[in-house]
Amino acid sequence: MSPLFESALISAMLASTIRGTTPILLAALGEAYVERAGLLNLGIEGMMVAGAFSSFVVALNLNNLLCGFLTAAVVGLALGLLFGFLTITLRANQIVVGLGLTIFAHSMSSFLHRVIFGNQFPILFGAGGTHEIPLVSQIPVLGQALFNQHGLVYLTFLMVPLMHAGMYKTRFGLRIRAVGESPWAADAAGVSVDRIRYRAILLGGLMAGLGGAFLALGDLAFFVPDISMGRGYIAIVVVMLGKWNPLKVCCGALLFGMAMALTSTLQVTGIKISPDFILMTPYLVVIVTLLLFARSTNLPSSLCIPYERGQKGQ
Amino acid sequence: MRKTDFIILALLVLTSLAHHPALAGDPPKRVGMALPEAGTDKGWNEQGKVGLEIVAKKYGFPIELAEALGYGDIKPTLRDMVQRGCELIICHASGYQTAAPEIARETGVKVTTVENHKAITAGLVSDIDTQPQGGCYLAGWLAGKMTRSNTVGIVASAEPPTWNRMSAGFAQGLKASNPQCRLLYSVIGEAAYADAAGAKRNTNDQIAVGADVIFGLGDGASFGMLQACSTKKAKDGGKVWFIDVIGDKRSIDKADVLLSSVIMDMSVVYDEVIRSFMDGTFGKQHWVAMNNGAVYLMEPNQAVPGSVREELKTIRPKILSGEIQVVNWPASVDLHKFLDETFPR
Repeated sequence: MSPLFESALISAMLASTIRGTTPILLAALGEAYVERAGLLNLGIEGMMVAGAFSSFVVALNLNNLLCGFLTAAVVGLALGLLFGFLTITLRANQIVVGLGLTIFAHSMSSFLHRVIFGNQFPILFGAGGTHEIPLVSQIPVLGQALFNQHGLVYLTFLMVPLMHAGMYKTRFGLRIRAVGESPWAADAAGVSVDRIRYRAILLGGLMAGLGGAFLALGDLAFFVPDISMGRGYIAIVVVMLGKWNPLKVCCGALLFGMAMALTSTLQVTGIKISPDFILMTPYLVVIVTLLLFARSTNLPSSLCIPYERGQKGQ
Repeated sequence: MRKTDFIILALLVLTSLAHHPALAGDPPKRVGMALPEAGTDKGWNEQGKVGLEIVAKKYGFPIELAEALGYGDIKPTLRDMVQRGCELIICHASGYQTAAPEIARETGVKVTTVENHKAITAGLVSDIDTQPQGGCYLAGWLAGKMTRSNTVGIVASAEPPTWNRMSAGFAQGLKASNPQCRLLYSVIGEAAYADAAGAKRNTNDQIAVGADVIFGLGDGASFGMLQACSTKKAKDGGKVWFIDVIGDKRSIDKADVLLSSVIMDMSVVYDEVIRSFMDGTFGKQHWVAMNNGAVYLMEPNQAVPGSVREELKTIRPKILSGEIQVVNWPASVDLHKFLDETFPR
């Protein structure tokens, strides 16, 4: 092993893993609920970019990070509502609406960035700060990597068991799963399919917006167009990898986050492998994992299918 | 002559006048420019846009700018530029190597490509390539003198020929300046030009193992590198210096970590292109290089000692005269081999 593989590098890699996993995990946890309810939200990438941009602008102007995160949540909710209106109420094609939303959010944030900042890229001082947890942060190697992170990182990982419980231990979770599997049966049982789907997509939008806000305010402290770099789509893959189970989704996101962190770490160690191959690692890991563990994946039966009461074939 | 015949004839005359090519000696009536990313990235795209604006002002032609086109099929955009009357289109990305010559052959409108020597066609396609390694040799020399830990890092957003030449030139200058130095090299992604988060991750890792000078090849991604250098301390608790490329980021360097930048002044090359258009020699190879003034090392940070500045001033003419032969490795395979030989691990 290279002498460069020292504790500081391992600690940096673990910290990168956690930090890189967080925005994907936030978006994926919300998307797990969305897909369980029978909606496929390809607009998640755009919601992340919109969340990143809006949070950054508000936090910069008000000099208040909390307002930035709240704005991202509101913007995520608004875009979720728009997606819901188009796909649930108007029954438009979910894939087309999702991609349209992503293109719209990308273009609009890029345009507004130009209008507001011109060719300047202001940095939000104070953003990206970490909160050290006493005692545990002193554990060698692991301490600083795991327990000296941004507040939203802790919150995100705390949400995993809560969202798992919400999915499998609550009436809301049961209704979400019922609506995604057989909406007509849920409807017959008195569950409002549209209302449940609206709630799911609002949750998904909120989480995606927060995921984007973490990129701009928690990780980078600035905004650049294309800040998300496909993390929204990765979140969708991670949801499928985790079979819509929040605990497994978390494992999938961590796996991808670690693979991404490794691409940098392996290169720094000077390992004699072509960078081209190292950079393939995250995607190879996902493909291999899908092949090994997701062969029996059963999509929610009504995924991507609009529901209309009494419609033939449902 | 019947009224309808007269109208048709008049329309034909007007149309032929509208499409009449510029006379020899005239600058193009309108110039199009296709950029893969926003022209505000303080890097390759912004330098291209600003360079063309300077030349447009000099020769008095309007610009048709299309930004953030990505690396997909840009042919519809180029056709649109042709319809809008562009007599020259500059496709400012190596990713447009296929589309640009195709449009030139299809429409007869002159185009300028990047890093596509084979496409050069007299009167139709000219090419711009970079020879920035001389400027990067100077940057490497500067890094070798400013490092305290004797560990310097290169973070590249991809491995196109320009980045590879720059990395090799930098490594050679570093070795000449400080033979004891260790060099780290990381690539963010296949085309991670805008991946600021990935850039920050790679830079953080290099800082973690002791790098205190980072040479960043990034476009939009370099914002992440600058951010990492601004927020992380080196192992000795001091600053982590950042050396940028192509553009000037001094206006956003609030932490004062920007050591210098290898600037590419694209207006120099675009001026050559427009002159070739005017004198009828269009369809040549143009170089972004030190010898025509298109590449130079930006005024270093105030923290750089006067003695080092003097050394840099002494080395520059040696590079220009060929006394110092700077390596030219555009292919990533050759670059990796060179790095392994120069800085064995």
